[in-house]
Amino acid sequence: MKRLATYRLLAGALLVALLLAGCKTGHQFVKATEFKDTDKIVLTFAGPVDETWAKNPANYSAYAQPDPDIVLKVKEVALSPERTQVTLTFASPLNTKDPHVLSTTNIVSEGQDLGAATLTVKKLYFGVLLSILLGAALINNFVFTKYIGLCVFFGTSQKKGTAVGMGVVFTIVIACAAMMAWALYQFVLKPYQLTFLNIVVFIGLVSLSVQGVDTILRKVNPVLFKAFGVYLVLVIANCIAIAVPLILADNEYNAPESFMLALGAGGGFLIALFLMASAREKLELAKVPATFKGLPIAFVTAGLFALAFLGFSGLSIY
Amino acid sequence: MDPVLVKLALGGVAVLGCIGLFFGIGLAMAAQKFYVEPDPKVEEVLHTLAGAQ
Repeated sequence: MKRLATYRLLAGALLVALLLAGCKTGHQFVKATEFKDTDKIVLTFAGPVDETWAKNPANYSAYAQPDPDIVLKVKEVALSPERTQVTLTFASPLNTKDPHVLSTTNIVSEGQDLGAATLTVKKLYFGVLLSILLGAALINNFVFTKYIGLCVFFGTSQKKGTAVGMGVVFTIVIACAAMMAWALYQFVLKPYQLTFLNIVVFIGLVSLSVQGVDTILRKVNPVLFKAFGVYLVLVIANCIAIAVPLILADNEYNAPESFMLALGAGGGFLIALFLMASAREKLELAKVPATFKGLPIAFVTAGLFALAFLGFSGLSIY
Repeated sequence: MDPVLVKLALGGVAVLGCIGLFFGIGLAMAAQKFYVEPDPKVEEVLHTLAGAQ
């Protein structure tokens, strides 16, 4: 009973936090700000604004957060018939990946001066996370477009069962290792200016998480441990396990972003292994010239898969 | 040598040592907490095998 109450409290707190995050725009009269298409920003006000104020492009100025000195030019302002929504069209396309800062002169509504507003416009955070996940899994698939982790990839892609086992174990371990790497990088390495030790620390972290998962799993779930068997140790030899922490340190990802990157890397590796194992099982039955038997034809197949994965490079959802 | 660099190097050694010590103790404690009795039969079977490979 007490537990249920705690869960309810937690759920309530989460809901309030989400609501607060969704409503916060920086000015109490501005309800929402969002990007539209590639060159528009839409402002939604809590009440009708005066047409003479709203339609003057000189009342708005915007810049992308990384470059505050480049002021973006507003080409056109459109006001909705009920006078609560303003659509700003910019002279050049916006880089919607970056948050933008939009400032207005004093907002005038029904003849009342409501003060100036400085607003942040950014994409939905959920979309950013999803794009990191898809990017790591498909668009920048570690095996097929970055060509790393190939030794384990060719070693464990002979049978579908082995491939799936390796992929799942790898995803679990990389998620643990990436979260630890993020914490160590943000709270230890960066504050002490020791980022030149990144590689050393991350190698240690990967082997540490492998050892940790091994020790705990042996006791907690012996059946799963038996099923994972050799693959767990093989994760140490996988270069992707060291690439993920280095990438998240380079890009200064925060905790959820790091987690999504790790999940994407693990999922992408799993997809690659499964596809390759399916193809190699079929290859066993094919008539392959003696010189190409075994690993050489596997490399050729991997090359064809890599070409196919090139098709994902145009994929963009957000 | 530049004292800033010396400080950075010594700091690096100290921080890395602390990280190592911390995680080493953590792993040791985990190994103790999640200790599994090794099966004596496994040892026996391994002993009776030829053991060339």
